[in-house]
Amino acid sequence: MVRMSTLSSWMSLPYLIVFLFLLPVVIVLSSLFGDWSENWVHLYNYVLFDYVSNSTGLIIGVSILVLLIGTVTAWTICNYNFHGKSFFEWALILPLSIPPYILAYTFTGLFDTYGTANNIARDLFNLDHSFILFPNVRNIFGAITIFSFTLYPYVYLVSRSAFLNQSQSMLEAGRMLGLNKIQIFYKLGLPIIRPALIGGLMLVIMETLSDFGAVDHFAVPTFTTGIFRTWYGMYDLNTAMQLASFLLLFIGIFITLERFSRKKAKYSSGSSTFKPAKLIQLSGIKSCIAFLVCFLPIFIGFIVPVSELAIWAYQHNLDFFDDKFINITVNTITLAIIAALLCACFALLVNFSIRFKKNTLSILSNSLLSMGYAVPGLILAVGIVQLFTWIDRSLLINTENVLTGSLVGLIFAYVIKSYALANSTFESGFERISLSIDDSARTLKSSGWNLLKRVHFPLLKTSFLTSALLVISEVVKELPATLILRPFNFDTLAVSTYIYAAEERMIQASAPAIAIVIVGLIPIIILTKMIKSSRPTK
Amino acid sequence: MNKFIKIASTFILSTFFLEGTFADEVNIYTSRHYDSDDALYAEFTRATGIKVNVISGNGNALIERLKAEGENSPADIFFTVDAGNLWRVQKEGFFKSIESNKIKGIVPKNLRGPNDEWVAIAKRARVIFYNPNNTSSKEMENLSYEDLANPKWKGKIAIRSSSNMYNQSLVASLVSNHGVKETETWAKDLVSNFARKPQGNDRAQITAVANGEAELAIANSYYVGIMLSGSAGKEQLEAANKVKIHFPNQDNRGAHINISGAGILQYSPNSKNATKFLEFLLSERVQDYMVNLSFEYPVLEGVSPHPSIAKFGTEFKEDRTSVADYGRYNTDAVMLMDRSGWQ
Repeated sequence: MVRMSTLSSWMSLPYLIVFLFLLPVVIVLSSLFGDWSENWVHLYNYVLFDYVSNSTGLIIGVSILVLLIGTVTAWTICNYNFHGKSFFEWALILPLSIPPYILAYTFTGLFDTYGTANNIARDLFNLDHSFILFPNVRNIFGAITIFSFTLYPYVYLVSRSAFLNQSQSMLEAGRMLGLNKIQIFYKLGLPIIRPALIGGLMLVIMETLSDFGAVDHFAVPTFTTGIFRTWYGMYDLNTAMQLASFLLLFIGIFITLERFSRKKAKYSSGSSTFKPAKLIQLSGIKSCIAFLVCFLPIFIGFIVPVSELAIWAYQHNLDFFDDKFINITVNTITLAIIAALLCACFALLVNFSIRFKKNTLSILSNSLLSMGYAVPGLILAVGIVQLFTWIDRSLLINTENVLTGSLVGLIFAYVIKSYALANSTFESGFERISLSIDDSARTLKSSGWNLLKRVHFPLLKTSFLTSALLVISEVVKELPATLILRPFNFDTLAVSTYIYAAEERMIQASAPAIAIVIVGLIPIIILTKMIKSSRPTK
Repeated sequence: MNKFIKIASTFILSTFFLEGTFADEVNIYTSRHYDSDDALYAEFTRATGIKVNVISGNGNALIERLKAEGENSPADIFFTVDAGNLWRVQKEGFFKSIESNKIKGIVPKNLRGPNDEWVAIAKRARVIFYNPNNTSSKEMENLSYEDLANPKWKGKIAIRSSSNMYNQSLVASLVSNHGVKETETWAKDLVSNFARKPQGNDRAQITAVANGEAELAIANSYYVGIMLSGSAGKEQLEAANKVKIHFPNQDNRGAHINISGAGILQYSPNSKNATKFLEFLLSERVQDYMVNLSFEYPVLEGVSPHPSIAKFGTEFKEDRTSVADYGRYNTDAVMLMDRSGWQ
């Protein structure tokens, strides 16, 4: 009995904090209970169908492509030995450091009618001035490509660790039953990692849905561009927030369905039959194919945009790298680290309490916070501003705003925007800890803090670090919420990029954009170090 | 570990709460993002000793922040491009009337809020670009925005998406002059004349005309200045050298004008400094400096625009439609563009 009461008191504080972080999302959702303006009639009659169908097409296309790229590369890496493999194993996550909107800008810089690629092609083959070799990228297919090649690492990461942990004996059994390599991949390899895959895919879908920069640049009217058109053009923020709420509800249903399907399908392998993968040595043409399979995603998602940016920066804007740059970089990194630690702690606590005591409150707050990933940054920022000014006004009698326009707002936004990343890492982390460990701990009278601190946390150190690093790489890229919530005279790298990119002055934007990539690379390089050392030992 | 937490938390707390306020300062919310603006702020501080604090961001989001902050807002000045944004802040009652006669003497009535809530700092015209090799100047003669709906231009017009605020303001000005119904018919005909699906920014439209993908491009005047400066790359410089500007509606109301403008906020804690700042922006030296970097047209008479934009003509007739109407009719404009299928 005593234990129960201490348990509920230590658990209530984190809940309070998590609850506070939930409020901006709740504020956005509360617009559903406000007035419904007649603009809805207009939206319904003329544009809503386009928004929904484009967003749906985008999600379907991106899902197919990221699953294809992510699983095929991970399978190749996990099962074969070929030239360049140890490089590809970590390099495949490099595109994670490129924000989709920056890839979009470099794509149009290359493939527009008079972009670099078409110009080079014309010069090379001495073609007519109006000849266009590369197809137009400013359409939904271009957008699908952009998102797929920047976001596939989420799927690659989860599938790689799942393939590494899978039972080799089962694959051997498949081989003995006469399945060929490809059949083994999709009949045995894929089904086993399905739960992990869906988790990674959810992140990709949420990020795709919340994006504004890339789809706006490609002139693809999606649900999110619709939200902003309603707000900026029709001056109707309330309807914009209602649209955003529908997006959130959709994601919420998706998350719930996913949880549901995960519960039904539990795959586990008896530990006694686990054997580390035996790598098949490839040579000749097969080795070449494996090389290309892994090289192509890195080429499109990282090498192309970084080279294009480097050329632009070198030609025009190298003086960006001065003292101010250091100041901005320090700002960016400090914020990112704070947000990452908070996210990791929250995700750890929430997931622990879900495991420990399956109460609806923790499950609900987990889903709500995860949904934050799909809220377009500016809409989230509005929720935060409203919350903070309300707190400032009601709790503090002082006329000066304390919270509004402070860095707390930025941290709020970052935590809400990237909690889902931390959460998905911890979810799979906890799943790997056998429940029997908890039982043994309990027989030793270890529970609550003690269990978390002495048993779970040591086992979850990798998850903690991974989730923090993922959050850092995400926060470094975050833009719209930063713009509106930051204090006076406070810049981050994404802000410096935006100042030019918003005007499509990519040549001037290239130097700060490279800086984002460089800073975003730091956590990714640490991650890759971890990846290298994370193969199960023989 | 504990020591680390202590140090980290002290550091964090100090960054949060040491946002000290200076006695002599002016706080600006701006949606203009030009490098040149930073130099301007520094120059103002040098000249007056008043520190300039800036948040630059999306205009719409800054308006929401102003709204939420209400009386407690630290902002003194809202500085933005596009009159629609200024109109919205004015409609919420967030601006106070500008008292300075110096300012009112410089900025003409049609470039101010109805009760002097805000004033223009610089102007731009939304004009038609053409390539004289493909389109004769005779065809361009007396061409108006209204004429762009003529079926003779089928497949020949390049313009960016209707999500763009400059297009919304242009259409709003047509609504102000012709009403929603007539403007909608015009928009439908215009859409059927598009050379391609609206894409890219204004400079992309100018490039399309330079290279013969379209005959006419609708774009803001200053973009050609940026292109000619070479800062946007060799291709754009070459394209800009091929095109000419046509100022529409010269035989009636004149070419569509939009503004960069600013106003002093209702709850401004430093409104004297704010007035000084606006006067500073409208001074001869600063106007000259600004328009030379932004390629906009000055508001102060006697200052000339940058030579590379002045060479296209400065003696054109400007539309005197109140820029406040752009905000007033913006929603109508967006909805009619939706109905006419202008993506």
